[in-house]
Parts: sequence; structure tokens; C-alpha cells
Amino acid sequence: MVPSKLFAKVAAPVVARGYASVAKATVASTSNGIKVAAAADSEADSQLASISLVIKAGSRYETAENAGAAHYLKAFGFRNTQSRTSFRTIREAELNGATLTAEATRENITYRVQCFKEAVPYFVEVLGDIATATKFAEHEFRDVAKLVALESLSARTNPATRALDGVHQAAFRGGLGNSLYALESSPVNTGDAVRQYALEALNSGRVAVVGTGIDADTLARLVGESKLSTLASGSTATEAAAKFNGGVQQIYESAAPLSHYALAFSCEPQSAQLLGNLLGTQRRLKWNSGASALARLAASEGFGADAFSFAYSDAGLVGVLVTAPSTQIKGAVEKVAATIQKDVAGATTEAIQRAVAATKLDVAEELATQRGALRVLSQIALGQSATTAETIEEAASKLSSAAANVFKSKPVAASVGLSQSTAYVDTLGF
Amino acid sequence: MEPIARALQNNGAFRSLCKPLAKTWVNLSGYRRLRYDDLLREETPIMQEAIGRLNRAETDGRVYRQKRAFQLSLSHQELPYSQWTKPEDDYKYLQPLVEEVTAEHAERDAFNSMTVVRK
Repeated sequence: MVPSKLFAKVAAPVVARGYASVAKATVASTSNGIKVAAAADSEADSQLASISLVIKAGSRYETAENAGAAHYLKAFGFRNTQSRTSFRTIREAELNGATLTAEATRENITYRVQCFKEAVPYFVEVLGDIATATKFAEHEFRDVAKLVALESLSARTNPATRALDGVHQAAFRGGLGNSLYALESSPVNTGDAVRQYALEALNSGRVAVVGTGIDADTLARLVGESKLSTLASGSTATEAAAKFNGGVQQIYESAAPLSHYALAFSCEPQSAQLLGNLLGTQRRLKWNSGASALARLAASEGFGADAFSFAYSDAGLVGVLVTAPSTQIKGAVEKVAATIQKDVAGATTEAIQRAVAATKLDVAEELATQRGALRVLSQIALGQSATTAETIEEAASKLSSAAANVFKSKPVAASVGLSQSTAYVDTLGF
Repeated sequence: MEPIARALQNNGAFRSLCKPLAKTWVNLSGYRRLRYDDLLREETPIMQEAIGRLNRAETDGRVYRQKRAFQLSLSHQELPYSQWTKPEDDYKYLQPLVEEVTAEHAERDAFNSMTVVRK
């Protein structure tokens, strides 16, 4: 079954696509050591640009004393600073026709602006302002805390998110295992605590500015003229190396009629996306259940199986999230585990080819968006492993042996459901 | 006249000349059982917002002074001199917040009524 999207692209003549080519990314550096990376636009008549301030302050860098601070720091993006109020920042962004976004991943916190090319100097100044002069006022903290509480509650009550969070905790314990969300038990309860966390992270070794629709030298000059040039020169963060602990299971008790079970394997970050596509649960064709063994199993047995993959700078996770009624979850998980060991660990050449093609498509589509291009540029700037067409090519040649190694190793699991009906990861035969 | 008045007000020598008279004036005015910022009229939206932004310690102090003053007024008593507000405690704890809130309201009004001119 050839996915129709891919077929159409192969059949059409190869035309140079107008998107920011990350392959031509250039990395510059400001006087105090902030890395700046930008991709030259291959479509010169695009009016759009985007810039991103990336700080290595994700949940990985939280300690017990400031657990949840990364989530708060993300929520404090574009808030009151010494020189402009949050209201003014947002109104001026609206007048300029720009979108402001704050995101937090396990490794980085990103403040992103998508705007017109003429407005880039203004927004570089805004990013410099929020990096160095955010007030973190107590009355603001109360508003931010409400937003953070809502996001955390939404995440906790979403069983899929909870299972994926749990799988990280089971696999990595501290560091990468820290929850993305500030829990109710978070010790962060003042603006000062968030400021402390931000100050620790805001040195030039842990900060990068990346952009599309602008060249690296111009961006480096703008960053040098902004308040970011006043950041202390610091070394990059020394995070503890991520260590995967196989065979661990995180159980969340839930009496809901639908149970969720996330099964995750440790892998190299470069091959995480490839292995996720090898599990092959994503529907590439509408009204069709998928061609891979796992997808066919899920369709015929009537449960849900969704592959996931995460790539971090020194670790990767790949696995499948099984969704089934509570009475059937144990059987479903055991069948999924058996299929993985038989059909995915020993995947056929055709399955490998399909996975490689699908991954190349996914990567190309992501790089065509501003967000995806910025993400890869920030990985390049901060020296984290970047997912580009070249790295996919390299990993694809070793995919078969990688699959055999990864899907025969001991996985971790997180189950959200009745603990009496759950499958235990050490009984799955790995 | 105004620049002369301002220059005189900001003149350090003139201020130190007036200081003793000012101290006597403040003591005789009798407000130093509370703080000056306790006397500001609070029944306006801006003041309510500013009071809402006080930290816990300041709010507690403000409420305590108010309750003490009310109780003394009710029982027709006076606070002994040793418990009056010390000059170093009579600082502007609320006025800066009021100015901040006023500026925020003014900024909102300005943005709401601006004309955008595209160059």
C-alpha cells in the first residue's frame, strides 16, 4: 500500500520548493558568546520572518527545590518588564502583525515571534527586554499561577499526556524524567523563585537566538545591539547524562472505562523518528488503517495503537501508546508486545524503506514551517542533535540493525487505568 | 514663577532649612498613628487595584493599623507616644503602586484611542 501523499511527490517533476533551507544555516556568535543561527530564505519574495529566543532551561534543569519552575518561566514569557508592560508588548505585536508564542520542552524554553521582515529589529529588542528585564512581579505571579494550574490540570486529566509524562519518569527518573508541567506540589510559589531559576539559566552559554527570513550576520548585529549583549558570559549547562532504566513501570490508578498504556524503548536520538515510523501506526491515507503489522493488528482487534518518538540531545525514546477498554487492555498490550518483537524488531526491507520514506517526508514538511525550521536551527545553535535530511539519511542506513537492537531491549511502561487489569512490563517477554 | 518655585523646592539647602518646621508640622498633624499612605482615599478602582498588589506584610500592617485606629476611636482612647509611627516607617509603600496602576490605565486609554499611521 503506497501512501498517496508520497506517491504524488515522487511522480511530479522535482521543483525547487520555496522554504527556508536549513541546510544553508549559518551560525554566528555575538561578542558575549550567544550563538545566533539563521537560515537564508530560498524564497526571496516572502515577506515573513521569524525569530526565536531559546534558553536551555527546560524541565530537565529543574531541581527538587524548584520543580515546576520551567513551566512558570514559559508562562512568564512576554509579561511586564522594566521598560514595557505586557499589555503594550501584545498591542504592539498586534499592530505589527506578529504572533508571539512561548513554548517549553524538556530541554529548552522558546520565546518565538513570527512577524514581517521589517519588524524583526523591533522584536529582537523585545526579546532582549524579556530576557533581561522581566519583572516577575508578585501580582503577576498570581495570574500566571492560574494559567499554569489550568495547563497542568489539562495535562493531568488527559490520560495520553499523563502516560507519556510517566514514561519519561520511569525511563529517566530525574533530569529528563522531570514532569513538563508544574504539579500542585510545586515549591515555586513566588515570582522571586521563578526569577532565580531564570537568572541561573540566563547566561550566554545557555541562550541562542535563531531566525528565518533573515541572515545570521544581521541577526547577530541586532542581538549585539539589544539587551542580550549584557548577559553574563557563562558556560553551557552541565546537565547529568540521561540514563535509561529499563524494566520500570509507572502506574496511574484510574477507573475510566478506557485505559492507556505507553510502552517505550531507549534508542539513539538520531534514529528515534525513524523507529517511530517503523512502528508505523500513523495513517498516511484517509479511511485506511495503515500498512504496518502494528496498524493492521490494532485495526483487526479494535484497539488504538499510536507510535511516539522523542529525541533529546543525549537520549531518545520510541514506543507505542495503546488505548483499549479496561477489560481488554492487558490482552492488547501483550499482543502489541509480541508483534513488536516479531514484526518490528525483524522488519522486512520493504517496511524499512517505507519508514525511511515516511520520515523523510515528515522532516521535510516540518522544515517547511517556520516553527520546525526554528526548532532545528536552535538545535544546531545549542549543539543539541538536530534532525535534518542529512541525519535521517545517515541513520536510515543503520535502521535495520537499530530496530533489532532497540525493540529487543527492555522497555519501560506507564499505564493509566485499573492497576489490577494492567499488563506488567516485565511479563511482556523483553 | 513656576521654575523658580520648583528650583526652590529642589534646593538642598532650602530643604534642610525647612526640615525642622516640617517635622513639627507632621508631628502636630497627628496622623503618625497611621502612615501617610493609609490616609489616601481608597474607594476608587485604581486604589483598589494598587492595594491588591501589596505584598502580604504590607497588607497585614495596613489592616492592623486600620483596626487599631478604629478601636481607639470607638473607645475614645489615644495611642501612647511610644507606639506612634516612627519616621522611618512612614515611607511611601502605596503611592508608587498607585502611580504604576495610573500609568497602566493611561497607557490602555492611549492605545485604545490612537490613530495608526503606516509609513
